[in-house]
Amino acid sequence: MSRRTFQVISVGAVVLAVVGLLKLAPVAGQAAADKSGTTPSTEGATKAGPAGKTPWGDPDLQGIWTNDFETPLQRPSRYANKEFFTDEERAELDKQRAAIIGGDRRQSRGSEQDVGGAYNAAIFLSHKHLGKRTSLIVDPPDGRIPPVTPEVAKRRQELREFQLALLQASDVCKNQRPGCEGGKYGPVSPRRSETPPSYLATGAAGGGVINRSDNPEDRTLGERCMAAILPDFGGAAGFFPQIIQSPGAVSIFYDTGQGQGWQRIIPITNRPHLPSSVRQWWGDSRGRWEGNTLVVDVTNFTAKTDYQGSRENLHLVERWTRLDSNTLEYAVTMEDSTTWTKPWTIKQEFNRQSDKANRVYKEPRCHEGNYGMPALLAGARAEERAFAQGKGPNPATMCTAGCGGFAGGFADEGEEANPLAR
Amino acid sequence: MQIKLAMAVAGLVLVGAAGSLSAHHAFAAEFDANKPVKMKGTVTKMEWTNPHVWLHMDVKQPDGTVQNWAFEAGTPNVLFRRGFTKQSLMPGTEVIVDGYQAKDGSRRANGRDLTFPDGRKLFMGSSGTGAPYELTPDGQGQAPKTPPAK
Amino acid sequence: MRGWSTGAMLIVAVLAAVVGAGGAMAVSRRGGTASSTRAARTADGKPDFSGIWQALNEANWDLQAHEARPGSVTQQGVYPYAYTKVPAAAVLALGAAAGVPGSVGVVEGDGEIPYKPETAAMRKENGEHWIDRDPELKCYLPGIPRAMYMPYPFQIVQSTNKVHMAFAFTSTARTINLDEVEPPPDDTYMGHSVGRWEGDTLVVDVTGFNGKNWFDRAGNFHSDSLHLVERFSPITPDVIRYEVTIEDPKTFTRPWRISMPLYRRMEPNAQLLEYRCIEFVEEFLYGNLRKQQLVKRWEGDTIIVDITRKVPPGDQLHDWYRR
Repeated sequence: MSRRTFQVISVGAVVLAVVGLLKLAPVAGQAAADKSGTTPSTEGATKAGPAGKTPWGDPDLQGIWTNDFETPLQRPSRYANKEFFTDEERAELDKQRAAIIGGDRRQSRGSEQDVGGAYNAAIFLSHKHLGKRTSLIVDPPDGRIPPVTPEVAKRRQELREFQLALLQASDVCKNQRPGCEGGKYGPVSPRRSETPPSYLATGAAGGGVINRSDNPEDRTLGERCMAAILPDFGGAAGFFPQIIQSPGAVSIFYDTGQGQGWQRIIPITNRPHLPSSVRQWWGDSRGRWEGNTLVVDVTNFTAKTDYQGSRENLHLVERWTRLDSNTLEYAVTMEDSTTWTKPWTIKQEFNRQSDKANRVYKEPRCHEGNYGMPALLAGARAEERAFAQGKGPNPATMCTAGCGGFAGGFADEGEEANPLAR
Repeated sequence: MQIKLAMAVAGLVLVGAAGSLSAHHAFAAEFDANKPVKMKGTVTKMEWTNPHVWLHMDVKQPDGTVQNWAFEAGTPNVLFRRGFTKQSLMPGTEVIVDGYQAKDGSRRANGRDLTFPDGRKLFMGSSGTGAPYELTPDGQGQAPKTPPAK
Repeated sequence: MRGWSTGAMLIVAVLAAVVGAGGAMAVSRRGGTASSTRAARTADGKPDFSGIWQALNEANWDLQAHEARPGSVTQQGVYPYAYTKVPAAAVLALGAAAGVPGSVGVVEGDGEIPYKPETAAMRKENGEHWIDRDPELKCYLPGIPRAMYMPYPFQIVQSTNKVHMAFAFTSTARTINLDEVEPPPDDTYMGHSVGRWEGDTLVVDVTGFNGKNWFDRAGNFHSDSLHLVERFSPITPDVIRYEVTIEDPKTFTRPWRISMPLYRRMEPNAQLLEYRCIEFVEEFLYGNLRKQQLVKRWEGDTIIVDITRKVPPGDQLHDWYRR
């Protein structure tokens, strides 16, 4: 070829080479990472950067996660100084738990406990094998929630007295069932027409519920389809966070409870929190990366939540760290000096689920299917009418909540109670 | 008594081993302990809604008329994770329900026990492809071999 | 360039390449800081749609072109004409805040929504029964495409195998799967989204709807056979062209299209706040079942509101002149 052509070609070649080098740089990680992790659970994984990083260089927490193992929140008293179960202990406890959960237990037919005991049936709940730790709480070292302040103790006491007042005329107290602990049988209480002493902010069936259905607000957050709270690290009705990241934000969709899922965005920013006048159910999250860990500060909670006693002053510091391709460690410190005498920390491990199976169910959602709420309100109004016409028992002597009887798959007490609680 | 009360109060907050969220609602508020029902019918429609699946069934009455009833069954998310889908229980299937009728007297009941005519429980077991972490009665972590209710 | 040496040409060429590639290299980490460093492309070379967006139009009231209306539901006024209606009782208390703004519409082509004769009748009925039937009022999941043009911001979190959208309205979300996933076990409000890149356009196929949703407050609706093809194309780094082809043989005689820009929320402190309306609608949904009703008069399932408006002293119209 001519010298001119040769010159053009060689210049062109150099230009192409330089442009090629520059363009390749940001995605250099991609080729390396396609080889990261060959276990089935990483099939369909994000096109990760090198060794667990996203293409833009942040630690990669993405995927569908759940806790493959159950761990009690607080250390059961009979394991007082043990941080870990032995393998034999775990196997034995699993055997006991499985037998109770899987067994077909009926209470006496025609009792309110038998009606409510539908949750014994394994089709409603999902239980898992026990994990190694005796408690999710790692600090304080005794694995128990620190004592609450006198103010919170008083609030709980007031709520308990109100609960008992609404139960005292029912069979629960007449037969001295565990739901009546601390109270005793008596006539219908005049407190039945009072507003509860504090906002009923519980989602847990059997905890803090009141025996009344005058208003939707009398029922639990779960029955109102608003049970999703922060922090959340699992329960027998299911818990699957789906994490998706971009450079400025981490999205976590919590598929939790029976269709009570919710969407959380953690902005990666050093902007200050929302003004203190703005309160939200799930607080206000601010995230930053510290090495391989996503640290999230959460404040601005509404007074309508109640996390183990803490309401609007709840302050969380979360630490999310990917330990390996299948494991995500979630540690969260709970701090609220108006509720607990000192902060406490839990640690939970999540395991990666199959991206392809995509078992994170944003729907069906509880609210759109909530036939239960109007039904129980209508039922209560029907009972009142029947009683007013002399055709039915006094609804105030019946139990609709806090009645006990196999909540969560275990009995209140005795041989079929949760082995961990005995 | 003081200690017991404190424990009871603490216990109220601690329901559920690992965490915060638990079952949806108290059946005792919606269904009547004094109105037990037991009936056999044919599925006409399935509603896979949270918090509870609804099984609509045609139930033949002793006098030959047919009534349509709705029974609350399991929880969709839990069932989906075990591999059940909307194909798993199709119209035309015969089911026996043992439960309690709604307090407002409508033709609804909670499905306290749900079985096929051969005695197999509805929605127990799984397709084997989901929920490998589940604790099962044999304690081994294997999904029971019973096929999904079809 | 006669007389330039090969070496000089080489240097110029390399410099040109560096400057050209430099533009593509401006992938800065976005920390909610200054927008001038906002990237047009992600680390894997795609248009960057991450951020907070919102439609700026009147589609949620009515997809079609329409003049302003006194209310979403109206009743006959003193004249018998269609254009002389007054707000219906249920929205009367909100005054001008209950009105429907006019719109040039978002339906492409002749602007008509091609209902079949039987579904056209249902659409008209829906519009008249807006309060009882619109899923939005019950805080039900708004579905797609409606969630994209409701007057609430939404946030796109764009990863490599997923493009996720988080909506402020009732804290709902949709995940656009770019990788292969199993189909969902049942139909849903928000559908099942599968996406792919065609050049700079994100093309999304949405199916698996349960048919319980509407497109807008005017009563435009669809069945469970709804199938959407969405196209997201960047116009500028801060504006997306959003186009949807809507197909539903049970409801419409042919496919039809809507399109609109989606605008980035440029405030440096832009953030999605909660709109947890499940709580807000308890009175709306269950108020008639309270032991002691808060609303004065209910009849069955339809609200008949007894509006006795007592204007507080000092707020009477003639009082204002004296201030």
